[in-house]
Order: sequence, then C-alpha cells, then structure tokens
Amino acid sequence: MVFIFGVNFSEQQLVAKALQSFYGIGPHVCKGIMAKYFIHNTAKVGALQGRQLDDLGAELSTMTIENDLRRQVVDNIKRLRDMGTYRGRRHAMSLPVRGQNTRSTQILTARKLNRIERRG
Amino acid sequence: MSTPICLRCLRRSLFPPISSRAAKLAATRAAFSTTPSRSANPPKKQSTTAKRDTSKTKSLRLSKNKRVVTGRPPAPGERKALRKRVVLSNSNALEVAGLEDFTAENVRRATLLRQLEGRVVGFGDATVNVLRALEGFKPTQGWGLFRRPASLVRAETVELGEMMQTLKGEKSMLSLLLAGERGSGKSVLQLQAMAVAYLQGWIIVHIPEAKDITIGHTAFQPVKTTDGQTIYIQPQYTAELLDKIAQANRGILSDLRLSRQHQLPIPIQSNISLARLVELGANDPQLAWPIWQALWAELTAPSQPDKQGLHRPPVLVSADGVDHIMRNSAYIDVETKPIHSHELAIVRDFTALLAGKTALPNGGMVLAAISKSTAANSPTFAAAHGHPRQFARASRDRRPKLPEWNPYDSLDQRVAEVMENVEVKNVDGLSKQEARSVMEYYARSGMMRGTITEGLVSEKWTLAGGGLVGELEKGAVRARF
Repeated sequence: MVFIFGVNFSEQQLVAKALQSFYGIGPHVCKGIMAKYFIHNTAKVGALQGRQLDDLGAELSTMTIENDLRRQVVDNIKRLRDMGTYRGRRHAMSLPVRGQNTRSTQILTARKLNRIERRG
Repeated sequence: MSTPICLRCLRRSLFPPISSRAAKLAATRAAFSTTPSRSANPPKKQSTTAKRDTSKTKSLRLSKNKRVVTGRPPAPGERKALRKRVVLSNSNALEVAGLEDFTAENVRRATLLRQLEGRVVGFGDATVNVLRALEGFKPTQGWGLFRRPASLVRAETVELGEMMQTLKGEKSMLSLLLAGERGSGKSVLQLQAMAVAYLQGWIIVHIPEAKDITIGHTAFQPVKTTDGQTIYIQPQYTAELLDKIAQANRGILSDLRLSRQHQLPIPIQSNISLARLVELGANDPQLAWPIWQALWAELTAPSQPDKQGLHRPPVLVSADGVDHIMRNSAYIDVETKPIHSHELAIVRDFTALLAGKTALPNGGMVLAAISKSTAANSPTFAAAHGHPRQFARASRDRRPKLPEWNPYDSLDQRVAEVMENVEVKNVDGLSKQEARSVMEYYARSGMMRGTITEGLVSEKWTLAGGGLVGELEKGAVRARF
C-alpha cells in the first residue's frame, strides 16, 4: 500500500487512476502532472520511486483539490445566491442554471446536485 | 334578429327525449326485483393477457451467449505470457530426414553457404537457444508447425552471409534496412542473419520489437548529455535488453574483459569480464544505463588481438519494426509535448549506428527491418525506404520533391538525416524454385498432403501474392478446409 496525499492506494493501481480519484483532477490535469514528473502512461503506483511519490504529494498539496475545491464551488454559488441572481436561485431550486429545457430528462444532474448547499 | 332562446332547444324542452322515458321505465321495473342488480358482485374481468414474468425473459439461447464460469481469473501477466509464447516444436510433425543445420563451418565458407541456397536448413540447438534468448522467434511465425526450427536459405540469405564474411574480414560496417510486403520474410531474414552472426562469432544486439520502446509502457527519466541535450533513458527496458545480450552472447562476452576505466555509480574490478558487467546492468535497472554506455564504449574500442581479453569481435545490431522509432513516441515531456523517438536514449544510439554516425571499428552490420503488420504512420520514413535514392537527393536540399510526397505531410528532419545513407534492401516473394523447395519441406514434415507438382507449386505461388513466404505457409500448411 502506498500513500499519496494522505490516501492509501494499492500497489497494483495505475498512477493515472489514482490521481484521477481526487476531486478536481481529471484526464487533462493528470496528464500534466504525470508529464511533469516523468511518469509513463501505464505506471503502477507500486513502481513509483520514493522521490516521485514525494514530488507528487508536494504537487498535490499546492493544488486546489478535494474539499478545498468543493468549498470554493459552494462559495461561488453562495455568492450568486446572496446577490439574488437568477443563477443563484436556480441553483437553490434544484433546476438547471444555464437555460436547458426542464421538461425532458436532461436535467437529472441538476436535480441531483443543485441544492441550497450543493451536493458533490 | 335572434331570439333570446334557440328555437330548436325550445322544441326539445316541450317533448321529453325517449331515452329519459326508457330510464324511467327501468327504474319502475327494478322496484319489483328482490335482488337488485346493483348489490350483486361486479363480474370479474377476464384477464386476456397473461402477466409477464420478468424473471424468465424469453431470449435466443445460444451456447455462445452463456457466460462460462471458470475456476479463477488469469493471474497478472498470464494472458500476456500466453500471447507471447513461442512454440518451436510440433511432436506430431514428421522428422525430415537429411535436414542440414547451419553450422559454424558452412556459414564461414562462402562456397558451402552457396551450396545451401534454395534448401531448407535447420538451426542447431545452441543456435536456437541464442535466437530464443534474443527473442528472434516470433509467436506469429509458424515455428510450432514443424518438428524443429528450420528456414529456407534464399538468395538474400546467402547474400547477407557473404556480406557478413566480407565485413568481418575488412573490419568495415554496413547499415541495411529490410523493406518489403507483409509476410515476405524480413524478420526471418533477420533471424538468419543473427544465426549466421552467432556461428561466425559475432556479438549480437537485437531489439525484438522497436514498438516496445516508444509506446510509453516502460519507465523513463531525463538525462543531460555532454553536449547539453536532454535525452530520455529507460532503465527497465535497458536492463531487459542487457539481460538478452548477456544470455545470448555469454560465450563470447565472458572471454572479453574491460579495456579501460568507466565512470560507473558502483565500484567494479578493473579486469571484470564483459559478461559480468552486462549482468550487473541486467540485474539493477538503476545501473543499466551507465553499463549500457560502458558496454558500447568497450564494443567500439579498437581490437587488440595480441592482449588476452582485449580482442573485439564484430557486432550485429538489429531491430525489428523500426517504423515505430521513426516518429514521435508516446512519451511526453514537461511541457506535455510529445517526445520524438530519437530523443529516447536507446533509439538515439541505434539510429546513430544506422546512420553511420557511430562507427564499428571492428566490423559490423546494422540490420533494421520494417514491420508491415504493425506499420506505424511515418511519412518521411515511408518515403525514404520506398524511394531511397530520390529521397536522399530531395532531403539534401531540404525540399522533398518526390511525386509521391504528400504536401500536407511535414518532413521529419531527424528521420530524413538518419535515412540518408541507409541502404534499403527490398525483400520480395520467393522464386518458384524456392517455393517448391519450401513446399517439399512441408510435405516431408507431413504438414501438407499430396504430391508437390509443378501445377500445385504454381497455384500456391500465385495465390501467395507472387511467392510471399508467409502467405505461402498460410495457404499450404495453416489453411484447413
């Protein structure tokens, strides 16, 4: 088992998969991080050297990810709501914010996530 | 002027409708009934449609639709091992009587080698072990169909063998690129060259699949060269390559020893044998790169035959599927730009040899083969081996003016420079005589029935795209009707 940014990963797991398990890291950001520390596409967590692990941890701690990023998103929505904007209201009403139709099933994500305190 | 009440409605209101009269009648009749119809239970609706049982859905039952539950899932690496497994023997095939082998004697003398032309010749046990260690045999080739590994000595084989004798004698080097259709026998020709090299006492360095270097599946790290360039070393891959070199050349390398001091991260004996040196690198990926460099420094050092362990034999460097190293690799640099294959350290060393920038002072040959079954898109390289002479001229004045050149393709300057002086050898189909010889071998192995007639040979030769040996094997031995 290997610790990256305080999370325990199995040695068999791909580094790309491990990195993308953090909220705020998708394929694009992941590619950048892996390129920066010379980690190849199919590298497993167990194959990383100690220095690479330290570097990854240091890199992740400088980024806004996980709870910091969630808080940032919630704050941004809160600002909209406090100003009384249409977007803020739509967020609070569990409705789509960007003008989508509301009579079809395309708003399931908005229904699920948009709350007074946004989920996820 | 309209009336306040509609005339028609007025008329209706005067005469009550018949239906209401009938209803009144029914109500009066009901008063006499002892069992009013309303108090009876309503009749049950007959269910016309049977309730659908969701647990038993009707679907087409085919045996292939059933998921077979096996005991355990394959362990990591098991499927790959099965895919890469090379079978070199078929106990059901007949032993071919009088099958000659490549021996040290018949590959060293040109006349004997020429006598073998057009015949199928086997590989001896020691040669097979070396070729296996070098991963010269490929799982897609039909070695597993016959009793023991054997191959046809074709005109190109003899030509290569003679060339190697000359190179050894003159201590000169040659770069050769084998091109040709899929199944034309490029890889087997390379294998034969390796067998000949082994029997002539050469050192063999073989990259079995150039694709493995560039697809980004092994670890890499940057290093600075002395001239300030950044190149990328691949410790694990280098260690594996050193392991192959150690296994295949153990006999020769254990007789050679270091000729000078090298800058290595660990202290080593000054008179250590090259076999031991290579093994050190093979066992530790972190040492692999410096030891690879030290090995090349030793192999390209001038031979001193009068001193024990300091003679240096000729070297055969070969790589299969080189079109994969003539383009960008799958690795990316810090700025997430693709790394060109020629910036990878092993490829850089190989291309320097191929282009003749690195000399082999003790004689040697660089033998590259393209791959048509896993061909990578590399327009510059394709033009270079498709039209070598025009290409050399065009790339010299840096304006490719070939009629075949697609103007929307950019010229890869690195590839162009490497390919400028490489001799291209086109491997074509077999002659009918050679095809007959191969088919007779199939028949004598019991893998092809019927008598080998002129007509049959002609038919198979034509169906095999003009004697492409891979297709010939497919049509004659593998095909089951």
